[in-house]
Amino acid sequence: MLSRTVRRALQDANLPPTYLLPFRARLSTVGHTIDPEPVPEPLLNSAHISRQTPTRPYTPPVSRQSSTQPAETATQPTAALPAPTSTSPSTPTTPLSDSIKDLLPLLRSQTPHYITAHLHGRPYLLTQGDTLRLPFLMPGVQPGDILRLNRASVVGSRDYTLKAGAPAASVASLPKEELGHADIRAKQSYVDERLFVCRAVVMGVEAEPMRIKEKTKQRQRHVRQVKSKHKFTVLRVQELRVRSLEEVEGLA
Amino acid sequence: MPYFRITLLRSAIGLPAKRTGVLQALGLRKRMATVYHPVTQDVAGQIMKVKELVDVAEVEYPLTRGEMKKMRTPDPGYYVERRAGDVRAEFEGR
Repeated sequence: MLSRTVRRALQDANLPPTYLLPFRARLSTVGHTIDPEPVPEPLLNSAHISRQTPTRPYTPPVSRQSSTQPAETATQPTAALPAPTSTSPSTPTTPLSDSIKDLLPLLRSQTPHYITAHLHGRPYLLTQGDTLRLPFLMPGVQPGDILRLNRASVVGSRDYTLKAGAPAASVASLPKEELGHADIRAKQSYVDERLFVCRAVVMGVEAEPMRIKEKTKQRQRHVRQVKSKHKFTVLRVQELRVRSLEEVEGLA
Repeated sequence: MPYFRITLLRSAIGLPAKRTGVLQALGLRKRMATVYHPVTQDVAGQIMKVKELVDVAEVEYPLTRGEMKKMRTPDPGYYVERRAGDVRAEFEGR
């Protein structure tokens, strides 16, 4: 009953659609069904951007609906990234889509950036200078090692957000051995790792206070004490930046 | 040759012993276990006996347990770009 009234109240409130809400980049993941809005003038006229795309002046696409939305829509092509090993990272070679080419300089021009980096499938929202205590002890690293975080679902700034595409991998892009197994593949897709640089330095290892758990058995006076003291790796985000288009194309 | 990919979604606890026997014959011992069998009439009959408990898909190639584990394991998301020991060695060698 209560939930029904709440739902009705929400319907009656007549909220504007999400694309009309301010201060939030509205981003689609797949395809470009909605016309992107023109770029705000201060960003368009900044010399910083025109320096980055000298040969390709931005032409705002034809917009049929007018709105006061400040942010742009960026899409990420849904290309399955090859799995990297711990030592040799993968380098995707798919060409950048036009929306990325248009909007990446805008994202790059607006600092600071944030990133949702995924470590072992778990998301961590980070910015430069953050200290991150991982919930596990990272194997095989020493204090001072520099890690590259290369899996991110979101890279953004205040007004712009680059989101990863939908994870549905097309059957044609799968290797031959995995035909028919697409439904058990990973559900998460990631932003193209050429577009950003995220470096973290290993600060050290932190330990929690010793925990003592008393274990008892029935009809026995003896109480066993189980001790545990877990260790956690501490990282610090040393560098987080979005690459320029020249850099990205220079990698390929 | 096509294969059936059979996953046990519901346990056979409380069901007649014959159903449990069919699951045992298919090699399904616990929930969410996945086995591959070639597409034949007798396997199809076995699946029909336990069709309420399993999820079936037809695939081209069977996967080993290791391959299935690898497919559902998420990416580490990092790699070691520079080791502190290497930096120290460079500094001392200079």
